[in-house]
Amino acid sequence: MSVRAPRYSAWSLLRGRFSGPGFWRPLWSGRQLQKAYDVVVVGAGGHGLATAYHLARDHGVRRVAVLEKRLVGYGNVGRNTTIVRSNYLLPQNHYFYEDALRRWETLSRDLNYNVMYSPRGVLDLALSDGEMVSLARRGNAMRLAGIDAELMDRAGVMKFAKELVPAGTRRFDIVGGLLQQRGGTVRHDAVAWGYARAASALGVDIIEDCEVTGLVTTAGVATGVETSQGPVAAGQVVFAVAGHTGAIGTMLGVPLPVETHLLQAMVTEPIKPLINSVLIYVHPHGEVYILQSDRGGVVMGGFLDGFPSYTREGRWSRLEDVVQSAVALLPQIAGLRVLRHWAGTNDMTMDGSFIIDRIRYDNVFLNGGWCYGGFKSIPASGAACAQFVATGTAPDLIRAHTLSRFASGHLLDERGGGPFPVRL
Amino acid sequence: MMRLTCPFCGARELHEFQFHKTAPEPGANPFAAVYERVNRTDISQEYWQHLHGCRAWLYVSRNPSTGEVYQVHLLGTQS
Amino acid sequence: MTLRRALSTRRGHRVTSQSVSFQFDGREYTAQAGDTVASALLAHGVRLFGRSVKYRRPRGVFAAGPEEPNALLTVGTQPCVIPNVSAPQLAITPQLITRSQNRWPSLRVDLHALLQAGSGFLGAGFYYKTFMWPSWRTYETMIRHLAGLGEAPGAADIAPPHVEYVSCDVLVGGAGAAGLAAALAAARAGARVVVCEREPQAGGELEFETATIDEQSATEWVSSALAELARAGARVLYHTAIVGGSDGLVIAHAEPGGGAKDNTVYRIRPQKFVMAMGAVERGIAFVDNDRPGVMLLGAAERYLARYGVAVGKELVLFGNHDRLYASAQRLHAAGMRIRAIIDTRGDVSAVTIGLRARLTGMGVECLGGHAVAEVHGAHGVRRICVVDLQAPGTKIFIECDALLVSGGWTPMLQAALHDGGQREFAAQAGGFVANAQPEWRTAVGACAGTFELSVLLTESFRAAAQLSQSVGAMGVVGRAPVGRGDTAPQLQAFWRSACTRAQEKRQFVDLQNDVTVADLRLALSEGFVDIEHIKRYTTLGIGTEQGRTGGLLGAAIVAELKGEPLSRVGVSRTRPPYQPMTLSSLAGLNQGDALRVTRRTPLHAWNQANGAVFEPAEYWLRTRYYRANGTDAFTAGIQEATQVRAHGGILDGSTLGKIEIAGADAAAFLDRLYLTKASTMKVGRSKYMVNLREDGMVLDDGIVLRLAPNRFLATTGSGHAEHMLSHFEHYRALEWSHRQVAITNLTEAWAVIVVAGPESRAALIRVLGEAWHARLSGLTHMDFSVSRWNGQTLRVLRASFSGELAFELHCQHGIAVPLWEALVAAGLQPYGLEALDILRVEKGYLVSSEMNGEATPQDLGMDGLVNLGNECVGRAMLGRPAFAEPQRPRLVGLRACDGKSVIQGGAQITLTTTDTHALGHVSSSVYSPALGQWIALAFVARDRAAPGTVLVARDPLRGTDVDVVVTSPVHVDSSSERMKA
Repeated sequence: MSVRAPRYSAWSLLRGRFSGPGFWRPLWSGRQLQKAYDVVVVGAGGHGLATAYHLARDHGVRRVAVLEKRLVGYGNVGRNTTIVRSNYLLPQNHYFYEDALRRWETLSRDLNYNVMYSPRGVLDLALSDGEMVSLARRGNAMRLAGIDAELMDRAGVMKFAKELVPAGTRRFDIVGGLLQQRGGTVRHDAVAWGYARAASALGVDIIEDCEVTGLVTTAGVATGVETSQGPVAAGQVVFAVAGHTGAIGTMLGVPLPVETHLLQAMVTEPIKPLINSVLIYVHPHGEVYILQSDRGGVVMGGFLDGFPSYTREGRWSRLEDVVQSAVALLPQIAGLRVLRHWAGTNDMTMDGSFIIDRIRYDNVFLNGGWCYGGFKSIPASGAACAQFVATGTAPDLIRAHTLSRFASGHLLDERGGGPFPVRL
Repeated sequence: MMRLTCPFCGARELHEFQFHKTAPEPGANPFAAVYERVNRTDISQEYWQHLHGCRAWLYVSRNPSTGEVYQVHLLGTQS
Repeated sequence: MTLRRALSTRRGHRVTSQSVSFQFDGREYTAQAGDTVASALLAHGVRLFGRSVKYRRPRGVFAAGPEEPNALLTVGTQPCVIPNVSAPQLAITPQLITRSQNRWPSLRVDLHALLQAGSGFLGAGFYYKTFMWPSWRTYETMIRHLAGLGEAPGAADIAPPHVEYVSCDVLVGGAGAAGLAAALAAARAGARVVVCEREPQAGGELEFETATIDEQSATEWVSSALAELARAGARVLYHTAIVGGSDGLVIAHAEPGGGAKDNTVYRIRPQKFVMAMGAVERGIAFVDNDRPGVMLLGAAERYLARYGVAVGKELVLFGNHDRLYASAQRLHAAGMRIRAIIDTRGDVSAVTIGLRARLTGMGVECLGGHAVAEVHGAHGVRRICVVDLQAPGTKIFIECDALLVSGGWTPMLQAALHDGGQREFAAQAGGFVANAQPEWRTAVGACAGTFELSVLLTESFRAAAQLSQSVGAMGVVGRAPVGRGDTAPQLQAFWRSACTRAQEKRQFVDLQNDVTVADLRLALSEGFVDIEHIKRYTTLGIGTEQGRTGGLLGAAIVAELKGEPLSRVGVSRTRPPYQPMTLSSLAGLNQGDALRVTRRTPLHAWNQANGAVFEPAEYWLRTRYYRANGTDAFTAGIQEATQVRAHGGILDGSTLGKIEIAGADAAAFLDRLYLTKASTMKVGRSKYMVNLREDGMVLDDGIVLRLAPNRFLATTGSGHAEHMLSHFEHYRALEWSHRQVAITNLTEAWAVIVVAGPESRAALIRVLGEAWHARLSGLTHMDFSVSRWNGQTLRVLRASFSGELAFELHCQHGIAVPLWEALVAAGLQPYGLEALDILRVEKGYLVSSEMNGEATPQDLGMDGLVNLGNECVGRAMLGRPAFAEPQRPRLVGLRACDGKSVIQGGAQITLTTTDTHALGHVSSSVYSPALGQWIALAFVARDRAAPGTVLVARDPLRGTDVDVVVTSPVHVDSSSERMKA
């Protein structure tokens, strides 16, 4: 049963001002968990909600449930640093992420929820000529695919991001950079809530506080799931559980090429505009990606904490590392204060690229292994995964992202880091 | 997660140590040893190195959901 | 600038009579030494300190500590401003310049205050519902300029903090009653004690306590406790707040001036941690409760007692507990005029009735069972509207200029929730208190929910005594301090006054973020029912005061709106930092050049003195070229490379990784870690060897020397040594722990000088002398010889990375410079990495651009090595089907078809100029002086990699497409005659 929510707009705000209580409706209304669905999606994060939305919208799948252990958007979709970009090296990745970026461009209108897509530019900084060659390789690959990329020398970088002009010298100086102007930021909470609202309006049941504890199978076919609210029958099951992807493998008895790591992020007190793009600064044994949210806080993140963890409490030394790199990049922010920091759980694969594939059963799908690239991919992931589930065939954009690619050697390794999410 | 206790150096700050990977299942085939990882939320067996210390390689058994460290052995000596 | 003088010298225990002055919003004010900017401005009757972030409502000082939500100022002038500094914590220093924030054009007249008219539709999350057409970008710039609090700094003039490492038995957080009691117990037990106190003085709430402790007044007891702690050697750190940490490390941050400078970071490793950080006072929500002049009661008392400041002439107190009356008495005794005390509690004990009677006798109207419903006075309280809670229709208006509110105290739980700590709802505390903690931490006092003085003294003392015992401090602690005369506050929860729906928009819960009761109700109606969702949707508690005043208040109001108990609703999760901490303090000492250590070779000083231009390689500084040889890297590189091939040159190769592997099983160990065997090498010989990563990709390459039957020296790529060392050590532990393999990192033990070129041998013989003549003449390619020069060991390896006749000299740094200088004198010109790159690309030798972690040995043309190879690490993964496919990359050489176009590193290679399918990429490219044209190394799909194939090197980034022809990667001297001369 869908619930009619008022269509959002400035006019609706005006009307809401003068209407009585009850004008605004719950974004996803409290539904009852049914006994059976065509598709059960496990995980109400970005990928799960987007998949459910596309199943309903594009493929007319009538009975879809998204079962969430905790709350809509409680996981990584609400904890990331909001960066979107498609500046990937490999064609198997950049076409996919570009599909996502194109969808980000129109998502607010599609969902009727302002996700605040801000194409302010994502700038990868190079600290040596060798790095410039690597950036050029990536930028040229992007341009061949029709994706925007611009290689800048030092002067170009300083002109583009004036806040980088240094008062003194940096320990690791900037030599140039690769800019993707169409990359930028998106408001992360809005993505979860926007998809939840749109999916709910299409009849998808979003059930919170419902933990999936097992898969039910009969004669080699999955028939449903066991949950904390009772058993649910399902024609197909999709697992979109991000940091718990590895645990799903354990539950299904399929060892996965996934290691679960913790990733921290933090934000400072809000100030007036200072940083107008997304800056990425990687130096020996340190990295930071830094931007300013529309509310004014400077958001930053860096490398993984470096060991498997589900605690969502990061170690202090990593916080310090990231801040050191941030202050090295932008010394003028040294007097700003960190207000909040948080952490998410990243499912890191052994080549750094995601997996959307069947897992063990023909009617069970795994959408995971997103490493650092989960948030930015959500619209494309939802569309592709839904198509896979609905038609039984993986769409071209994700054809290479199989579970079996590790065994066959068709690795999608952007960094050349191999099966080690944490570098030695 | 508390400190790791290096068998040679005693209890030391976490940042002296570097994690490498979770240990493969005993008897894992070459592919599994390289690519597959055990993903249990209650216990994780891991290879760490006391990088900024004596450089010993360690076999650590800990709980990745609470951070509690159960055991630390010198790698190669664990049973 | 008018100089404003305070009317008379104020008396407060933190200020002296000495005069100081400072600026606020362009005007100069006098103050007394010890004043904060807040106390000084309040003394001058300043009421407006800023405007709120969303609605730009005029705001004044609300609190006297880090819980201050409103009075945030910008300190300094551009470019070195520090924004968002809390005025109650900002000490006045000479020439201090401060400005209010978030208003234009002035604090009094702010045009953006027109936003208040929109408060009906600018509620929580309104921006999710609009700003979509035509796109968010249209509105973003304006929104960003309206958002944010203080100015963005143009520069920072902040020295890195002092950093101190502290180890102790018992750390006590907070020097209030509970903290001091705990510290005394631990000190008496003989434990090493450190106490962190956020304020400049100890005592906490005892400053206002009327009860006695051990027969002394509270303040006297504090002094004697501090004296005893000092005698016992306990350390008390003032201005120092516990801010975070992890894994048993506790980070404390001292910020004495409040202005981000002169900070100290304490990295504390306690055995046990007693958390006694107390509780913070909170307000109550009523209509227009954000007006300047509405202040926390405890804050007003502090401004009076510490700074001698009267925050108003006609005060009204409003709250829900007995401490109202004690406060009123103190204020009254100091000469403040209290118009009324509004107490929400209707049904009270005899004690309370007695307290009220006493105050009524002093001329203060005491209204029990009443609540403040509304405040009037936009730029400062001038009148309040009070209602009878039993008869809501009746309204009483009271004129006043300060409304002092106290809705209770919220335990400061942050440190208790981290690293496995739990909390629980405690009805008697009216909120959440710490419960289960990891064994090394315990919460006492208010944060454990114990507010009664006599009880918390005993509990805290005993808890600390127990913890001290558990770490072996077994001294006699004696009796706990005894508190007498304290009374329980008898708090009855009251969170908000009733009002109409429309008025809920002006009942503020989170003052800084303008979150109102209406916002909470809106969030609930939109389905955000969990407190975490509510926090994210409404931004409740995410400001600089981190939810201190609004967090629990908001949760309780949500509970009332939902009709659920507060214990079910909970509060949102807190995380460190527990107080906002500057980036400079977090970064610690690793700032500026100290971000990472700089490693220099033994020849660095010589290079620097002789015009070397350096470039970073990992942490090393390496010479890129020498200024004398060209105006830039490109020209100098060509000059130096030409010189090497024509005559000769020397290169500082000291950063080369060197790892010695020794022991009876060393040879077998190396066989396992390298693609080809080391065990077949003869002593005195070296061999080019390749390591594979576990997945079969080439990890590194280098020359391995067999120094002795059981001693090998493995060289690795510069900057790669540490990685390879760990790799070797890992396998030794994993598979060889019961065997004899010793691994030693000798990278910094040996300097390396490369001597290359046709004249290299002759020059080397001249320099090393007759003793070396025969050795050098007889040294065949890949042999090495060890002897001495100038009294120190010298090893000469005949190997080449340039393709010329070349030698690598390994020596200890004592002779590095003399040897180098002698070689220069012998006519060899130093060359740098730029030239080295030219030489090695000409020869098709590989660096990390080729060994990039994506290539198998076959991709790199090492098929021969693979065929010879043994069961080394990584070998098993090479058989995967993808590696034999025709599109698998292959290392090739490239030249421009026209013999002159520039080939760029990073160009993508396609079949035609319109193809979008890339066959590979250019990994390295140089201008080759030997060939007079640009050459490259590249990866091209196997099935297109035959020499002679014509392809296109596409570089849309730089706007060029170059037709290229595939060649062998060895561009120059393919038979290696020059090298083997």
